[in-house]
Amino acid sequence: MYKYSEKDKKILKKRTSEFKYQVERRLNGDLTEDEFKPLRLMNGLYLQLHAYMLRVAIPYGELSYLQLKKLAEISKKFDRGYGHFTTRQNIQFNWPKLTDVPKILEELASVEMHAIQTSGNCIRNISCDHLAGINNEEVEDPRPWCEIIRQWSTFHPEFSFLPRKFKIAVTASKKDRAAIEVHDIGLRLVKKNSRIGFEVYVGGGQGRSPFIAKKIKDFLDKKDLLNYLEAILSVYNELGRRDNIYKARIKILVNELGEEKIRSMIEDKYKNFVDKKLELSENKVKEIYNFFKLPIKHSKNSIIPKVDNVEFKQWVKQNVINHKIKGYSVVMVSLKPLGKPPGDMNAIQMNKLSQLSHDYSFGEIRVTHEQNILLPHVENKRIYDLWLKLKKIGLSTPNIGLISDIICCPGMDYCALATARSIPISQKISHSFNNYSQQKNIGDLKIKISGCINACGHHHVGNIGILGLDKNGEESYQITLGGSATENASIGEIVGPSFPESELMGALNTILKTYKKNRISEDEDFLKVFNRIGINEFKKDLYDNPQ
Amino acid sequence: MAKKLKGEQFYLSANDLISGDVVYLAKNKWSRNFNDAIKIKRIDIERYEKIAVEDENKCLIVGPIFIELTEEGKIRRLRDKIRKNGLTININQ
Ligand code: HEM
Ligand code: SF4
Repeated sequence: MYKYSEKDKKILKKRTSEFKYQVERRLNGDLTEDEFKPLRLMNGLYLQLHAYMLRVAIPYGELSYLQLKKLAEISKKFDRGYGHFTTRQNIQFNWPKLTDVPKILEELASVEMHAIQTSGNCIRNISCDHLAGINNEEVEDPRPWCEIIRQWSTFHPEFSFLPRKFKIAVTASKKDRAAIEVHDIGLRLVKKNSRIGFEVYVGGGQGRSPFIAKKIKDFLDKKDLLNYLEAILSVYNELGRRDNIYKARIKILVNELGEEKIRSMIEDKYKNFVDKKLELSENKVKEIYNFFKLPIKHSKNSIIPKVDNVEFKQWVKQNVINHKIKGYSVVMVSLKPLGKPPGDMNAIQMNKLSQLSHDYSFGEIRVTHEQNILLPHVENKRIYDLWLKLKKIGLSTPNIGLISDIICCPGMDYCALATARSIPISQKISHSFNNYSQQKNIGDLKIKISGCINACGHHHVGNIGILGLDKNGEESYQITLGGSATENASIGEIVGPSFPESELMGALNTILKTYKKNRISEDEDFLKVFNRIGINEFKKDLYDNPQ
Repeated sequence: MAKKLKGEQFYLSANDLISGDVVYLAKNKWSRNFNDAIKIKRIDIERYEKIAVEDENKCLIVGPIFIELTEEGKIRRLRDKIRKNGLTININQ
C-alpha cells in the first residue's frame, strides 16, 4: 500500500488545522454560512436531510486494517456506530457534529486518511478496479497509476475550481470492474506491440444526462499520462460551461463538440505539453510501484477445504475468486445482507473485519464500486475458518453478482435532493429474493437504484435500473432495462410509465418472468436476453397484458 | 427560500449549526421538539425569512427551509415527514 511521504503528512496536517480554524471562525461568526459552505464542502462535509454528512476518501479503494479500525472507532465515537460505503470508493458518516469534524479529520490523518477530493468541483477521489494487482488478466497493476494521478491532482492549482466535479477511474483489464466508461475520464492500461500504455476515454457520466465515454486515444505512452490528463483538463477548464450547472460536466462538452473536435483540441493542447511538462521518469514510476508490491512471497499448494456444508459451498461459489498467486483467493464480503441498507457496515463489523484482515489477508482490505468489501489475499486452506468468523458477524451473505447485490443510493431517507426513497426498495427486493437457489436461478443480474435523477445509485447502468420519482407527492419508480457499466457499457432504456411503490415489485416480477420465458438456457443471463430480444417483449408483458 | 412554496401555512425548520440536528422555529427559539413549532401564514413568510437569515448569521442554525403544510395543517411532503420522524428503515447497528 502507498505510504505517505513527509510532504503528504505535512500537507494533511496543514489542511486539518486550517479547517479547525475555519470551523472556529464559523462558530464565532467571523464567517457567514455562505462563506463557510464552500470551505466545508472542500473538506467533504455536506448537509443532508437530517444532519451533516462527512464523506471520507478511500483512494482507489485500498484500506489497511488499521484504517478500517480507525473508521470503526470514528463511527462509534463521533457518529451513530456505522458508515456507508459508496459507489466511488468513499465512506460516509451520516451524523457528525460540526464541532467534532476537526477532531475526526485529525483522527483520520493519524492513519493517513482524509476527506479531500470528496466534494466540490475538483478532481475527485480516483477510483480503480477492486481486483487490481491480484487478477490474472490485467496487463499490469493500475494502482500505482491511480496514486500518480492522485499526487498530481490533489490541490492542483489550476484544477481545484473546475466548471464541475471531475471523476477519473482506472483499470488494467479488458473486463471493466471500475465502470470507466461512465466516468469523466476512464483509463485502461493495454498492451500493444509489447508496449504498455493507456486507452483514454472521455466524457462518460450519469446524472440527468447520461453518456457513455468516447475513446479518444487508443494508445498513450505511460510516461505522458499526466501531460495528456493536463491537456484534457485544460480544454475542459477553458470550455466547460460555468453558466449552467446542468451543462457543466465534460460529458456535455464532449457531446456538443463531437468526438473528432474534442479529440483534436486535446491533441493540440497535448502537443504543447508532450515530452515537457509532466513527463514521468522511470525512477519516479518505480518508486511508486514499490509501494504496491504484493505481500505474498510465494505460491502455495493450498486448497480450499472440502467441507460438507451447503451454505459454505454456496458462499465459496459466489464470493470467492481466484487470486493470481496459486494457493490464494480473493474473498468478497457482501455488504448486502438481508434487510440492511446496501453498503452499510456497523462499527462492530468494521472492527472485527479489520482483525480478520490482519489475521487472514496481510492486513489489506479493498472496497468495491459496487458497495462491497473484499479481503484480497487469503490462503486457500484458511478459507473455511474465515467463513465461520465472517458468518458470526453477519458478513457471509453469498450473493455477489446476484439480484440482491444491489447498488443503492441513500435516497430520501438521508438525502435532501431525493425525490423518493431507495433503500426500502432494495430491502423489499432482497427480502423477496432471499433464497440462494432462487437467486441463482435468475442468474447474474445487476439492479441499481437511485432516489433522484442525479443517479448516485447508477440506475442508468443497471441491467434493471430503478429511479425514484415524485409524482404529485407520491413515490413512483421508473424502470430502465439493459444498462451496463462493464466493458460493453450501455445506458438503460426506459421501459414505460413509472410504477407507484405498491406496484413496483409486481412489475419487477413480470420483468423477470419475461426474461425467464425468453432465455434459451439457464446460462443466458438477463442482459444477454435483453440484448437479444429487445425492450418490446418486456413492454408488452408489463403494460399490454399485465398479469 | 420562499420561492414556489405550495399552500397557505408552513413551519420554519433548519439544522442546528453545531450538532446538525433538525430544529423548528418555536416561540422565540429554535427547538428540537416538533411539537413546539409555530405555524406561519403565507403573508408572514417574508418576515420569517428574515429571521432565518439573521439566525443563520448569528450562528444558531444552518440550511433554513419552510415546511409546507396541507389545509389540515399536516406536513405535506414525504421528505419533511421523514425529516421529522427519522429514517424509515432499520439501520445496520
Ligand atoms: C449528500 C449526499 C449526496 C449528494 C448531495 C449527491 C449529489 C450528487 C449530484 C448532484 C450528482 C449529479 C452530478 C451531475 O450530474 O453532474 C451526483 C452524481 C453521483 N453521485 Fe452523488 N450525491 C450524494 C451521495 C452520493 C452517494 C451516497 C453516492 C454513492 C452511493 C454517490 C455517488 C454518485 C455517483 C456515482 C454519481 C454519478 C456519477 C457522475 O457524477 O456522473 N453520491 N451526486
Ligand atoms: S441519486 Fe439523488 S437521492 Fe440518491 S444520493 Fe444522489 S442526489 Fe441523493
